[in-house]
Amino acid sequence: MKKILALVLALMLLAGCMSFAAAEEQITLNVWSFTNELEGMIANYYAPNHPNVTINYTIYPTDGGAYTTAVDTLLAADAASEEAPDVFTLEAAFVKKYVNSDWTADLIGDLGFTEEELAVAIPVMRQIGTSNVNGKLKGLSWQATPGALMYRASLAEKYLGVTSPEEMQALVADWDLFLETAAKVNEASEGATKMIVGEGDIWNAYNFGRSQGWVVDGKLVIDDVLYDFLDMIKTLEEDDLTNKGGAWTEVWFQGMKTDSTFCFFLPTWGLHYTLKPNCGLTTNDTMDDAALQAACEADGGTYGDWRMIAGPMGYSWGGTWIGANAAKVAAASDAKKAAIKDFIAFFTLSEDFLYQYAKDSGDFVGSNAVVEKILAEGGTPNPFLGGQDHYAIFAEAANLANGSIMTDYDETMNNLWRDNVTTPYSKGEVELDAAIANFKAAVAAQFPELVVE
Amino acid sequence: MQNASSSTQLSPKAKRKSISYDKYGYLFVAPFFIVFIVFQLYSICFTFYTSVTDAAGWDKILNNQVIGFENFRQLFDPSSKIFNYFWGSLGNTVIMWLFNFVPQLGMALLLASWFTDSRLRLKFQGGFKVLIFMPNIITAATIGMLFMSLFSYPVAPVNTLLQQFGISSAPIEYFRSTPISRGLISFLQWWMWYGNTMIIMIAGILGINPSLFEASLVDGCSSRQVFWKVTLPLIKPILLYNLVTSLVGGLTMFDIPHMMTQGGPNDTTNTVARFIYTQGFNTPNNFNIASASSVVLFIIIVICSLILSAIMKDREPRAVRRAAK
Repeated sequence: MKKILALVLALMLLAGCMSFAAAEEQITLNVWSFTNELEGMIANYYAPNHPNVTINYTIYPTDGGAYTTAVDTLLAADAASEEAPDVFTLEAAFVKKYVNSDWTADLIGDLGFTEEELAVAIPVMRQIGTSNVNGKLKGLSWQATPGALMYRASLAEKYLGVTSPEEMQALVADWDLFLETAAKVNEASEGATKMIVGEGDIWNAYNFGRSQGWVVDGKLVIDDVLYDFLDMIKTLEEDDLTNKGGAWTEVWFQGMKTDSTFCFFLPTWGLHYTLKPNCGLTTNDTMDDAALQAACEADGGTYGDWRMIAGPMGYSWGGTWIGANAAKVAAASDAKKAAIKDFIAFFTLSEDFLYQYAKDSGDFVGSNAVVEKILAEGGTPNPFLGGQDHYAIFAEAANLANGSIMTDYDETMNNLWRDNVTTPYSKGEVELDAAIANFKAAVAAQFPELVVE
Repeated sequence: MQNASSSTQLSPKAKRKSISYDKYGYLFVAPFFIVFIVFQLYSICFTFYTSVTDAAGWDKILNNQVIGFENFRQLFDPSSKIFNYFWGSLGNTVIMWLFNFVPQLGMALLLASWFTDSRLRLKFQGGFKVLIFMPNIITAATIGMLFMSLFSYPVAPVNTLLQQFGISSAPIEYFRSTPISRGLISFLQWWMWYGNTMIIMIAGILGINPSLFEASLVDGCSSRQVFWKVTLPLIKPILLYNLVTSLVGGLTMFDIPHMMTQGGPNDTTNTVARFIYTQGFNTPNNFNIASASSVVLFIIIVICSLILSAIMKDREPRAVRRAAK
């Protein structure tokens, strides 16, 4: 691992020197990311419009924390060095860690973004890109990843007598109604169809229902919503209303192909990259829409039977942000600073680019102006959803979610909460008080600085 | 090799010319030592240093202060927040190692004595040895992933199979049961390593002078007596080697529990190495605690190894002494 890291660093150094020597009058931007997604976007959209900017693109995979380790070690050693990134991308799992640190530049104060420019950004993504420490905006995203509820139209008609998404939304408008509907589905199908697969499905939605993040003023906070979540899961488990599986397990994918599960909570990428390729017994992720439909008709599947609604709670799941290296911005010339600003603005705010990109890729982009433009043109009817327009639903869901409850503690905290509380409590292995005590002890052991009461 | 043999043959003449190829030897071993110093020796020294600093988090890893033995105090103070987690994980590790090692040594010895028994003359020995050794070739992480999917819940091969044969009526949640989770990890460690141990044992037994076996047979020993009275005492150094390497490997057990159970259920399969990993590489990166735990683990391993070698070496002189009396 370390050898590979050293090799990559050495190569990068070499590449950096070479391109620096070759393009004297040009501005060179070092861009670091964890996939080639942005690289493709640079090549196809950015580079043709920006002949004077040379991009050095470096990829570290996120597997095993390679990306954060690379960024952390370099920034800790010498953030202003030649090979350090000017601009780097941040994934939902660790975006908060960097926007809360001093390593990322203030987009408004340091780079000169104005409120007028930023007005189009979808609020939830902007909130997540904002520091919890000083309230400064540090990162922007080209996509928004709002979540929605996807349900099976045929099962809804059979078991609930529901024929339109509006009627379905009324049946799951809040969590109490959701539970009632879950019981009805189980009863009407005689246990053949369960509402959801397991706790992992509703966790993200519940998580976004909190009014406070995990940590406020250096203290651990367990929001009341999390106790509601536990009650809900316990009831669902005890009344046998789930498939009793986890997300990303065999039974979860089975629920997408067969009638065993009624609905899934999935975000934008979940619809395209998770639900769609798994909708049939013989489908895979290399098939296009026509092939998926044919495979489902021939071998059994659920293509075209899905409908989408906002569900009981607006939430966001995933996303990629672009941030700037504070040390490099501070040392940069005006021309370079402008180039850094232009780079971020191009990908996250530029209407021309985002519109074209949305049209080309079908991705849900992070600008309300572009989303409205696409909706005004008649949206994007999706045959997978029986002709329903996924853009309209996601647009509605995107503006419901509240990103300000995200903290840099989330990933570790969520795992500790699941392992110490949700799983053992919902399965009846421990009492609630004991589960919470275990959780608090585990948090105290992992976060020595935190006040745990 | 050729060089070495030719130079020894020509040595009387070569001496006068005094052309020495010795220095090239250093060049050939240099890559190993460079890599070792940069990636191992330095890391080890840095771990020792970090364990006495306040280096919690990446921003402090290079700008830390030496704070003395505070991190070690936390590991040994029963009132500290991490005390139960560290010693609990050490307990889990020892339990899982014992349940793996005892059967592993027994199985390896049994197979080794069968394979080397001149009276049994087993057929297809090579084929058996390859098959038994095979699991050791696969990466532990792969095996961990494989068994996680085999035993997962509620839809997975093992559950489906048991239900189809009518052995269980409902799917069983294996990874919510401490004995099953620990048992599976011990089993996998056993399954992966008994072939390796067996090969080492066979090598050890083949190294014994055959005349000793012949003598014991002439004296009318049974197979059992040959094993207990001749083979076992003579492969004691090999047993010691095996015991120590297995102890080191067992106490640093990481891949299989990490991939298969993630330390669950309720931290009962969390090993010391996983404790170090979660402290060091999950937010907020407590490198100081992780380093101190590594140092303590290192000291525990050194002490255990010394005790083992003392026990194994002590016996012979005592027996000799008794015989002398």
